Amino acid sequence: MVDPLTTRRWLYRALFAALATLLLFLRLLPLDTMPRTIPGPDLLMCLIFAWVQRRPDYIPCWLLVGAVLVFDMMLMRPPGVWTALVLLGAEFLRSRQQVSAEMPFGVEWLMVGAVTVVATLAYGTILAIAVVDHASLAKLLVQAVTTLAAYPLVVFLSAFVLGVRQASLGEITRRAPAR
Amino acid sequence: MATDRNASLDYTRPIRRIVIGTLVLCLMALFLLWRIDSPRVERMRAALVDRVVPSFDWALVPVTKVVGMVEGFQSYARIYEQNQELRRELRQMKAWKEAALQLEQENAKLLDLNKVRLDPQLTYVTGVVMADSGSPFRQSVLLNVGARDGIVDGWATTDGLGLVGRISGVGARTSRVILLTDSNSRIPVTIQPSGQRAVLTGDNSPVPPIEFVETPELVRPGDRVVSSGDGGVFPAGLLVGQVALGSDRRLRVRLAADYERLEFLRVLRSHSNEVIEDPGALIAPAPIGPPDPAMVQGAGNG
Repeated sequence: MVDPLTTRRWLYRALFAALATLLLFLRLLPLDTMPRTIPGPDLLMCLIFAWVQRRPDYIPCWLLVGAVLVFDMMLMRPPGVWTALVLLGAEFLRSRQQVSAEMPFGVEWLMVGAVTVVATLAYGTILAIAVVDHASLAKLLVQAVTTLAAYPLVVFLSAFVLGVRQASLGEITRRAPAR
Repeated sequence: MATDRNASLDYTRPIRRIVIGTLVLCLMALFLLWRIDSPRVERMRAALVDRVVPSFDWALVPVTKVVGMVEGFQSYARIYEQNQELRRELRQMKAWKEAALQLEQENAKLLDLNKVRLDPQLTYVTGVVMADSGSPFRQSVLLNVGARDGIVDGWATTDGLGLVGRISGVGARTSRVILLTDSNSRIPVTIQPSGQRAVLTGDNSPVPPIEFVETPELVRPGDRVVSSGDGGVFPAGLLVGQVALGSDRRLRVRLAADYERLEFLRVLRSHSNEVIEDPGALIAPAPIGPPDPAMVQGAGNG
């Protein structure tokens, strides 16, 4: 028999994959073929960063890389770069997880903001070095800002609707003997 | 479980670092591969899109239609004004239609008199827009026709009103159309009536600018812009739009195609023109006696 914690973990992984598919689907809908002046937020990155800081075991690196790489391919981005940057950002936040668990939300938001902006700058720089034709850095930064604006909403939804919250102390002690 | 390594064990952290480092290296290698051998990776991408998007199709179509219906419902509020406006437009259009019919007849007569032969091979395949690029920095749509319908990279696409873009990336069942507004789009155009040649350059804005105009003084806002067929990219004479002066004093083109709702697109089959390569040989008088096969060949080429 599988223990309930593992079942829950796999359930949430499946939920993450389903949410990513839904996001991709919404992005692909041919509703708006006019170029927009303000690029919308990168909701997948919001979701990843929000979950990684609450329950890092719900998003293992293979799932993260798979999801973002499919987005890279489907949304006509240069494959690999953005995935690598999101992976690095998520790992950074994951390693700070114990710290940010006790932090108020404002600090977490600032941290995610710093990671997002650094990742965006690195993305622009790498594409410029490789002489890939890409959107201007200003537009990319505008997207980083809209992503940050969407972040609290994603956190709220995943915490109170989907139930992705920091593991309580009881859960941690219960988990410890299982390994 | 291999995934909750980040807890407390000391030896797991270096292993995790190695795993992450390897993953990042693999991803950067993929990017480098894409940079070096773009067509191969793009073909992989087209194959992936070809597999994924048609499987979304059952959901894409109803959702798009429902949103369209909601938008249509909102427009009921303004139905009276719209009706009035349409009536006014219809009256104008009737006058124009009469003029167009007369001109068409006249044109047909003149063409007949001149024995002009228009390109008879300009036929089209109509496709339905399935999905857009999904990214705010890329302007493209995905059609439900692909290599099995005979679509070839580089063909022009119109929506019946004006040029929309060109095919770039063909899968078995889908093909991607790079819109004129995409920042990768460069189209040679002619500005009528002055006949200036220019290049229409997409820049992710709804009104793309035109560049490399030789004498901009001759170009006035309101001039018609048509594709020029330079470089054999496009068939000539497809309507692109009208010149407009942007707020930044650059010449821009207001596109004729209805970019707000791209639903059905026509992919124009264009066949590569025959290219005349050799300068032509000397036509010598036929030699007396049995003909030399080499000479016959040479004369045939000329």
